Amino acid sequence: MSAHPGAIRLETLTKAYGSVTALHDVDLEVRAGELLTLVGPSGSGKSTILRLVAGLDRPDSGRILVDGTDVAQVPPHRRAVAMVFQDYALYPHLTVRGNLLFGLRVRRVPRAEADRRARAAAERLGIADLLDRYPDQMSGGQRQRVALARALVREPTVYLLDEPLASLDAQLRFATRADLLAVHRDLGTTMVHVTHDQAEAMTLGDRLAVLDAGRVRQVGPPQQVYDEPADLVVAGFLGSPPMNLVPGGGVLGEAPGLTLGVRPEDLALDPDGPIEATVEAVEALGSEAILLTRCPDGTRLAVRTGPRHGLRAGAGLRLRPDPHRLHRFDTETGQRRRRAEGVDE
Amino acid sequence: MSSRSRRPLTPWMFLAPYGVAVLLLIALPALLNLGYAFTDHTGLTRDPRFTGLANLRRLVADDFFLDSLEASLFHVAVSVPLRLLAAVGLGLLLAAPRPGGRWFRVAVYLPTVIPDVALAVLFLWVLNPLYGPLNQLLGLVGHPGYTWLAEPTTARVGVVLMLLFPIGEGFLVVLAARRLLDGRLYEAAALEGCGPFGQLRRLTLPLLAPVLVLLAVRDTILTLQVNFVPAYVLTDGRPANATQYLPVYIFDHAFEFSGFAYGALLTIVLMVISAAVITVQLLAVRRWRVLR
Repeated sequence: MSAHPGAIRLETLTKAYGSVTALHDVDLEVRAGELLTLVGPSGSGKSTILRLVAGLDRPDSGRILVDGTDVAQVPPHRRAVAMVFQDYALYPHLTVRGNLLFGLRVRRVPRAEADRRARAAAERLGIADLLDRYPDQMSGGQRQRVALARALVREPTVYLLDEPLASLDAQLRFATRADLLAVHRDLGTTMVHVTHDQAEAMTLGDRLAVLDAGRVRQVGPPQQVYDEPADLVVAGFLGSPPMNLVPGGGVLGEAPGLTLGVRPEDLALDPDGPIEATVEAVEALGSEAILLTRCPDGTRLAVRTGPRHGLRAGAGLRLRPDPHRLHRFDTETGQRRRRAEGVDE
Repeated sequence: MSSRSRRPLTPWMFLAPYGVAVLLLIALPALLNLGYAFTDHTGLTRDPRFTGLANLRRLVADDFFLDSLEASLFHVAVSVPLRLLAAVGLGLLLAAPRPGGRWFRVAVYLPTVIPDVALAVLFLWVLNPLYGPLNQLLGLVGHPGYTWLAEPTTARVGVVLMLLFPIGEGFLVVLAARRLLDGRLYEAAALEGCGPFGQLRRLTLPLLAPVLVLLAVRDTILTLQVNFVPAYVLTDGRPANATQYLPVYIFDHAFEFSGFAYGALLTIVLMVISAAVITVQLLAVRRWRVLR
């Protein structure tokens, strides 16, 4: 238990909406002051976790502990939790000031105090000159800041951010990502952040939790999850393009009962390499290129390589996988096999 | 060139059928009406003569007109708020999907598709002092009931009651407008501790304000006119002229007493009153910043 408030603990949390089970026995711990990113495909249960922690929905079973206390019976507004919604959910009939003051007025915070908090939040996010604007008079980036400021005025111990950057264009997303990190650093409060964006997941969180089909697949620092995916689902989800997975080993080396994986960047072009392949398509991205290749046995391998290699569709080449970066998974269970248990290298 | 010169004509051609109808059926009669108001036209003779302000002088001295005006304003003042309250209340209540909601919505809309006269005849029964269900309901709580259509005040209330039912259009507009509101606004408000009444006051009503203003203006215009049928079928303007609303008074003058001219002037007065009431409403809307 930490001295700072804002530690969250989910214990065997299960939630179904009608016949659809959104969460299956989820255990997850968010440390106080940490920025945890929940990542996973649509429908994996990320937003459900936020809604349960916020109190918008009730779990079917399991417990939610905030700082050691079960919050099941605590109504949403009494939880020290603020949520930033996807697309922001700003009140369209209120100015920025009205939006920031909304919750404070509902909670009858004295006027002077409420104004002070609204102004402080607006200044922190650089929107103090927009206080008299209405949401439809602002850009997406400005609205995003207002949504964040509206969470700030609550002075919560936990922030829940539901795809906060999803509606911004790529450039703005990059800048806002840095702002979000700065806010987290300044405040030092717990943040749980949901995204389906790879780059956001890798760059934003102290730790990453990968969800799929209502289950937590892996939790850890982003780089560690990327380097050592716990199972086939995580391996197939993280990375763009995702890891090349070959059931039975195939061109990566026979491995009965296992599925071997290698990331596109761990396949090197090498005239003496053991894998023969033909280029099917080239995606030139400026700073790098992705080669989509096919081996004689039909296996498709994506290869990340430098730009300007002069290869075109139809060209033959040979590839060498980095032996230290081969991933082994049990084909049956999908679980990662440690190297010691694996077959010969 | 030819396509360019033809293009500006197309929208006008589409507008033409409606435009012609408006011109022939509304603008022209309105103009004639304006002219007749200053003549002695009876609708029977062919040669209306200009009589200057004679009709106007008659209007100023007309005590029955004042009664009629009072009856109309009373009706608008009571009926419009109640009809709005019913339409908005039921619209908000039945907007959320819930089991059986469809049937309740149909039930609310149904009286609107019943012809006015049929509904009025139905209300003759509802308001019947001897065997009408309304008095029987009152009897259940120990009240002796009223002779509804025989007393001035209760007759007016009876008309208001009847017109509380055909509110389907306003109901539909509110239902649709409420369903367009973003559910996440309500979740955000719930997170702030805003309960159902707080959400109604701080979100729903302000967000629906443009629709509510529209409905209020529309219902004012409508209500000043639609009480013709109930007044005619239920009370024929009686008792003691208590339900001699302006449309009834206009009809009586134009077609039963003294001919078109005076009726035409009264029609203009009704229009001016409608405009005045709406102006007051819109000034209030601006004064209280109902719309952003």
